[in-house]
Amino acid sequence: MVDQALIKKLEEKAKIIRRDAITMIKAGGLGWVGGSFSQADIIATLVFHTMKHDPKNPSLEDRDRLIVSKAHCCETVYAALGEAGYFSKEEYQHYGKYGAKLQAHTEKTTPGIEYSGGSLGQGLSFALGQAMAARIGAPKDSAGKPIPRYRVFCILGDGELDEGQVWEAVMAAAHYKVDNLYAFVDHNKYQSGGRVVDRINITPLAVKWRAFGWHTEEINGHNFEEILNAIDRAEKTPGRPHVIIAHTIKCKGVPTLENKNVHFCKLTDEMYEEAVKALK
Amino acid sequence: MKKAYVRQSPGDAKAMYDAYNEVMVDLIRKNDKIIMLYGDFPRGAAGELATKEFPDRVIDVGIAEANLITLAAGLAGAGKIPFTHCHSIFAVGRAYNQIRQNIAFDKYNAKIVMLNTGMLWAFMGGSHQTIEEIAALRVIPNLVLLSPCDPVETKKATQAALDYVGPVAIRLANPPVPTIYKEDLPFEIGKAVLVNEGKDATIIATGICVGDALQATELLEKDGVKVRLLDMHTIKPLDEAAIIKAAKDTGAIVTVEDVSILGGLGGAVAEVVCENNPVPVKRVGIKDRFGQSATIDELKKEYEISADHIARAVKDVLKKRK
Repeated sequence: MVDQALIKKLEEKAKIIRRDAITMIKAGGLGWVGGSFSQADIIATLVFHTMKHDPKNPSLEDRDRLIVSKAHCCETVYAALGEAGYFSKEEYQHYGKYGAKLQAHTEKTTPGIEYSGGSLGQGLSFALGQAMAARIGAPKDSAGKPIPRYRVFCILGDGELDEGQVWEAVMAAAHYKVDNLYAFVDHNKYQSGGRVVDRINITPLAVKWRAFGWHTEEINGHNFEEILNAIDRAEKTPGRPHVIIAHTIKCKGVPTLENKNVHFCKLTDEMYEEAVKALK
Repeated sequence: MKKAYVRQSPGDAKAMYDAYNEVMVDLIRKNDKIIMLYGDFPRGAAGELATKEFPDRVIDVGIAEANLITLAAGLAGAGKIPFTHCHSIFAVGRAYNQIRQNIAFDKYNAKIVMLNTGMLWAFMGGSHQTIEEIAALRVIPNLVLLSPCDPVETKKATQAALDYVGPVAIRLANPPVPTIYKEDLPFEIGKAVLVNEGKDATIIATGICVGDALQATELLEKDGVKVRLLDMHTIKPLDEAAIIKAAKDTGAIVTVEDVSILGGLGGAVAEVVCENNPVPVKRVGIKDRFGQSATIDELKKEYEISADHIARAVKDVLKKRK
């Protein structure tokens, strides 16, 4: 049974980061509303509950790591980090502008960001490297298996799974039994050019990940109870890397924009008003 | 006139990868942050030792160079010092964006060991002979690119790569190379080695071609032409001061490399000379062609990078010297 107070808190945080993300996109003029909003509930859960981290000390040793491989969807990530206290929310006004701390794709120079993305398909390999580093030289349990010093969470887009390098990392993670690696597929069914199934059909997804040796969960990525339970089950499943395939809705949170493949777009005044209204 | 740290005649030949492994055996034991990563590549003495003594510090990713390079970035981001090993063509050719985006962009302390570099890889043919290494890598910000020429310099370059905190790519050619240097060779990243002093012209060579360039200076000496030879073991940061001095002192330059002259060492030297002290430059290297199966000697002849070709290039450039 999941703590209802926790769910209420996460719902509130998710609303705040969507709202702040819209503020940011409005200031920058451009942004990735759809994919940023579809992952927002997962981001909120990780940043405000699951992960061990310290906004006052972003380089805390043995902190859990968040690697957002779909690094264009940076706005809800920045909003979560700002809300957590990694930097001032004043930074939102400079998003994507000359000299900004918040670049148009996540960069490691921003406090709390662990990975400079922008080239899709690479984040899982990076996350795997970080997860393996947590095991090298770590203390071992009675069975001789390393007790990892921290966990690594990686968020992948579904369109991103077209990239072959993702599957190189998937194979390597299973081969080395990297069970401190947790991947989320933000399965919002759209990519830049349209519906994922119309571009390159990547389904069935769960079957693929299972066949590659991963502990695989399939959930509604907007249901906090399901997100929390899936992470919980993953934590109790040793010996394999974990993937949580989260069925999500592009632009979730703004009903008039949902599932319309609002990918990279100029935020019109009308869209902004609709979003502000929906996220009150 | 050869410098004191240059042998009077070349010593035993050795593969650069073997020389690299000799020094890494030591470094792996001394520095527990070093992680050896392989893309289905022979591990050599150092990798074999690490596999036995430090098995969790050896990672083989299989035939997956993109994953190899990005995974190394992840390790470096967590404080490890990864050394990646794969064929040069697959590092530069298949994982270029990973080198750029995952390693260089964030200045990660990762070392990309590029093996079987350049045109001079016998038998394997054009798919495996890399002509793009220098042109492709020298435009990536933050990346140091080393190109040693003999076993002694390979060891020193490896140590220097470890001592330098940041991304370094090292070119190691396949064939055994004769030992040019004595052990007291001074080596500093970004500072060319003066191999031979002369005033008539300067040869600037890199990597496996330095040995042939040295032979060329000896051939030219017999004809009364005294040539300065610079071993440009660091492609980036380039020793611009040594190039400008060569242009001023000797008035003519020949560059030598076993990769494309388009954007390669020849291109880099020409950029510096044109901007600072224009003098005639002739580029010896691969002239916009792919490779093919052949012996090393046949390749040197076919692609016009032998000692004879270098000597001829010096005589050609001297005709243009003012």
